[in-house]
This record gives sequence, structure tokens and C-alpha cells, in this order.
Amino acid sequence: MRVTLFDYGAGNLHSLAKALATVPGAEVRAQEDPLRALDTDVLVLPGVGAFGAAVARLAPGREAMRAALEQGLPCLGICLGMQLLFDGSDEGAGAGLGYFAGRVTRLAAKRVPEIGWNQVEDERTLAGARLDTVYYAHSFVCRAADASVVMGWTTHEADRFPAAVRRGRVVGVQFHPEKSSTAGVRFVQAFLREVAP
Amino acid sequence: MLTRRLVVCLDVKGGRVVKGVQFEGLRDVGDPVELARRYEAEGADELTFLDISASAEERDTLWELVRRTAEQLFIPLAVGGGVRTVDDVGRALRAGADKVSINSAAVANPALLTACAERFGAQCVVASIDAKRDGDRWRVYTHGGRRPTDLDAVAWARECVARGAGEVLLTSIDRDGARTGYDLALTRAVSEAVDVPVIASGGAGSAAHVRDAFQEGGADAALVAGILHDGLTTVGAIKALLREGGLHIRSLA
Repeated sequence: MRVTLFDYGAGNLHSLAKALATVPGAEVRAQEDPLRALDTDVLVLPGVGAFGAAVARLAPGREAMRAALEQGLPCLGICLGMQLLFDGSDEGAGAGLGYFAGRVTRLAAKRVPEIGWNQVEDERTLAGARLDTVYYAHSFVCRAADASVVMGWTTHEADRFPAAVRRGRVVGVQFHPEKSSTAGVRFVQAFLREVAP
Repeated sequence: MLTRRLVVCLDVKGGRVVKGVQFEGLRDVGDPVELARRYEAEGADELTFLDISASAEERDTLWELVRRTAEQLFIPLAVGGGVRTVDDVGRALRAGADKVSINSAAVANPALLTACAERFGAQCVVASIDAKRDGDRWRVYTHGGRRPTDLDAVAWARECVARGAGEVLLTSIDRDGARTGYDLALTRAVSEAVDVPVIASGGAGSAAHVRDAFQEGGADAALVAGILHDGLTTVGAIKALLREGGLHIRSLA
């Protein structure tokens, strides 16, 4: 199974690549070209950086990537990678993939960025890995227009936001599974086993 | 609701974990990757490497160490010590660090915090502040606590956050290594002054001290080192006491 990380210059991919590689048969590689990144069995949009810079790197492959997701390419978007799956963001100009309807806005809280471990309520993204407490490092969140895609919620101060979304074989998570210790690694493994095969 | 975090700090030099003995010799206490993994398994919420290398040759081994660690550690990893430039921060992040703490270089050039936050995001910029009591306030020191500045620790913490720091790592020089408890007044003063997480550091001698840093100091996270490395207590024992105290913490899955 070819697993491709779309590397849009965000930096640290080591932990994520290693977490994905724990699944037998997963061949993990990084690809900077958004079109070539689609020549894969599983696409992963990793999660560090700023929205504007990321969508600029994504732009040449945006339409093709959206079409591939609609046609069933399994995809896991993490943090900023999840935000890229939505229409657009208050953080920066440019269009996201628009696979999920809704806009990315700043956390409505006193303490921003939210940095640390927080709970996910009613988490039901995957059958094989239920999550409880996961690691966040973010200032923006996805306001999903359709609540039925939300697979778990987290509350920071008074702001309740989608921790995870899923439609078909595309999953987005606002937290960092690759930084959420054993439970997070199990989530990544369950994604590859349940969604991708 | 965010949990309170227990952060384990390892002093590294030349790619190994070292321990100071009465401020004189340094003793090699093990492989950083192995120790990091052990602390993750015990329930540490985050790990920090504090690089105390004296030479550029020793420092070069740090990035390789961060890379090896990031491939095997699945909790956040912060790196500090000797970070001077935006390029240093970029190198640390590319090697696999999630956060970088900046101390003396931020005092010398506060714009460095802003430059790093703009380029990499505030979530990875940690302002590291070493403070020492001076009358009814706290004075900021740099260069490993050896050089006094004119800065007031509370005001400097506020400025660091205004300039882009996403967290404050606050070390009491008076308490560092003393094992008499964190400086709770200092911790509280800074926690109340800023809207970003404050990591209390310096003085942990027992699990009860960690609890006090949260309950009385108002810290979001507490850094522990020696009492764990010396086997005086464990991550599990500290967390059990925190849980008994009604604090919201992460339990092992």
C-alpha cells in the first residue's frame, strides 16, 4: 500500500511517517508536487504551517486532488491538513479543497493557540480506535456546515469545535494523532486498516 | 478542557543524556532515545531536550539526536539551549522537534520571537525565562543563569507573548536543583500576566511540589527532571497524586 504525505514545506514529518509505517505493508513517502502526490493508494495531508502558504503550494493540483477524493482516494488530513479539506480560512487567502463545506475560523477563546492535551467527546471516526485525550497545537478550527460529518467534538474554554470529520474515505482530525502517544498511533493504524484497504 | 501537563526534561550533550554532579563533572546517564521512549511509556505528556553542549561540534549531534528521537517518540518534543537564529529554529523543526525554546537570544533580540512565530507559528515558539528573586520582584538572567539583565520577569513574559511566543517556560534560578518546590509566587505572577500556557520549572523535589505548581502556582504544565532520573519518584506516582488532588490530567490509554 503506497502512502503519500503531501509535503508542502511544513517541516516535521518524521513522527507521522513513522506512525504510518508501523502498519505492515505501508510504503510511506513524501511528495512535494500536489499532482504527483495523487499517484498513490492513500494520501496524507500533514499538519504544520499556515493556511495561505499551504494552499498556494496546493493550487496547481487543487482540482485534481478534489476530484480524486470525490472518486474515493482515501485521505487523512491532520490539523492544517484537515483545514485544507474545507472551503477557505480566515487565516489566509486562497481556496481550500472544499471537500467539506464550511470555513476555518480562529478559536473563540482567551488562550490561543490551544496547546496541550484535550478530550474528544463522542468520538466515532473509526471502529478500531476510540480516542479519549489527544494532543492539540492550533489557533484555527473548522466550522463544518454539515454537522453530520463531525465524528467527535472538543471544547476549548467555551468554544466547541469538530475534533474529527469524515465523509466516505476522507478523514480530517484537528488534533495530532502522531503526537497523541499510543492511542494516536493506534488511530493512524486503524485509519489505514479500515479506510484505506 | 485542557489537561495539566507533566513535561520531562533531559539534559543532553554530544548526543547523550548527562547529569551535572555538584556543578562540576558531568556524568553520562544514558541514551536519550531510550530514556525518551521510557518516559512516554510511563505517561509523560511531553519531552524537552535541553542542550548544554559547549562546542559547535557537540551541538551538531543535537539535530541527529532530535531526528532519531522524533522517529520513535509519539508525544511532543521540545528542544532548547543555544538557539540563536530563525535558521536554528527551522533546523530543529525540520529535524523533528515540535517546539523550540529561546532564552538568551530573545533577550538580546526580542524580534527573533516575532520572526519565528511568523515563519513557523506561535505554537512552536517557547519563550524560556530564567528568573531570580530580587526584593519583591524577579530579575531575568541569561546565559544559563549567569548574567543578570535589567528585565523584570513578569513584564518580560508579557512582552515575549506580545511578540509571538506561544508558551512560556519559566525557571526559578533560586529553586533550580534545590528540590524545595517550585517558586509558586513567581509562577502565579507570570501565569496571571499572560494568556499562553506557563510551564513551571525549577525546584521539583516531590510529587506534592508538582501538585502545588498547578493548584497554587496556576501553571498549565510542570517540568521535572532530576527527581525522575534519580528514581525518587515516577511519572505514574506524580500523576496519581495529581489525580487525587482533583486535577484534570491525561491517563494512560
